[in-house]
Amino acid sequence: MEQVKITVALIIAVVLQWTLRNVFPPFAFVDFPLIIVVYAALQRNSIKAIFFGTIAGIAVDALSGGLLGANGFSKTLIAYVVSEIARRVYLDNLLLRIPVIAGACLLDDLVYYGMHKLLGQELVSPLFVTMSYTLIGTTIAGTIIVLFLDSFSSESLKRQKRDFFAPRRQTRRRNPIRLGKKS
Amino acid sequence: MAVERTQKEVWKLTPWLLIILLLGNFILMAYDARTQNKQRVIRVWTQAAAHFIQSPITSAGTAITGFFESVANLRSAQSENDILKQKVQELEVKVQESQELTQENKRLRKLLELKQQSDYEVKTAQIIGRDTSAWFDSAIIDLGSLDGVKLNMPIVVNGGLVGRVTAVSPLTAQIDLITRDKSGLGAVVGELGESNALGIVNGTSKKDTLEMKYVPGYMDVKKGETIYTTGQDGIYPPGLKLGEITEVRTGSATVPHQIFIQPSAKINSMQEVAVLIYTPPPRPKYEEALPNAVKDEEKVDSKADKK
Repeated sequence: MEQVKITVALIIAVVLQWTLRNVFPPFAFVDFPLIIVVYAALQRNSIKAIFFGTIAGIAVDALSGGLLGANGFSKTLIAYVVSEIARRVYLDNLLLRIPVIAGACLLDDLVYYGMHKLLGQELVSPLFVTMSYTLIGTTIAGTIIVLFLDSFSSESLKRQKRDFFAPRRQTRRRNPIRLGKKS
Repeated sequence: MAVERTQKEVWKLTPWLLIILLLGNFILMAYDARTQNKQRVIRVWTQAAAHFIQSPITSAGTAITGFFESVANLRSAQSENDILKQKVQELEVKVQESQELTQENKRLRKLLELKQQSDYEVKTAQIIGRDTSAWFDSAIIDLGSLDGVKLNMPIVVNGGLVGRVTAVSPLTAQIDLITRDKSGLGAVVGELGESNALGIVNGTSKKDTLEMKYVPGYMDVKKGETIYTTGQDGIYPPGLKLGEITEVRTGSATVPHQIFIQPSAKINSMQEVAVLIYTPPPRPKYEEALPNAVKDEEKVDSKADKK
């Protein structure tokens, strides 16, 4: 059920990325597929996350003037990095997820820009301005979308997450007074 | 225990999968960068699929925007005339439709004027999608190979040249704008045939500025002069207006001028464009163009001599 939810979310994100800029140009600075890829990676299923990253990236690249595969490359890398971090650090708190989304956005832009430069391609938009706007837009939209998607989380997934980072068993302290007591 | 082993297997498998996918994407990128004048199958079919989503959403978006604009206009009209308020509200939908149609009619009429002036067949198209990435400025139009659109065909609006077709699907086409850094085209300062100030126009990092290079420094070039295409690039037809000179960094006898141009087409706000169904004249073959090239007839003769 959770995978279906993320797949549907990813399809909607790609469609939004294809269409919203023509309706309202500032939406160019919100990377919807990246948000879903990060969300998928936060579920700690790294294989699905990197597949989602590749598919979403290539779907976005196909309708872009940039190199085919550049978004696929950056989003695959980010899916892996985020899922590895999520495997080691407890990131189910929303306040911890915000910097993850922001960091993923920055890394995505840098990798995308770097790959184009590496292959001798000039980008139309200036680096720092585009990165700043994308960072703001994607982080705000990402926080809202993650909250929205979390509200649909099934109980089984929540239990699975709890099990993944199970609290340490605490041994009951013995009463030192009772230790010396003879029965 | 079994679940734990599976998880470990997944963790071991992931880096390998990552490497394969990254490598695949990199090969795709490198191939795309190497042969940019050809179109990719992925692009073509994704565009064709996206058309069914983009087209209705764009229409709906335009209708909604038009609706809110008309509502805003109604509010200002309310303050001016309260008596007409109710009548206007009743006719709100009709007004909105008629406003949209009027605007569209005006734009199409302008394009039709261009159609009458032009020597080529012109097909009008609507922009149904913009670049999915914030880093580029390409657009998608609702005409494709089924409408006769081919790769590299020029795109114009009433103001002048906008760009060229870079990918064609059966129903849509992707256009690259002249403001892009890689979009070089042959141009001349002033009317073609009257001026020798030839050069190459490229995009710059600024979205609303073009740069003209290689115009000899001894040529007289002034601010405000108009730039036209020469047709020597083998893509665009000659005589299309590009824009006006906004700045000239004067060169010398050995250093060319550096000329900055403001495009005459309103590239950022365009909604309808026209595709010029133009096929450039065949260029002389590479071998034929070289003075010492061996012609086919000579090759046949030499073979016959050997025999």
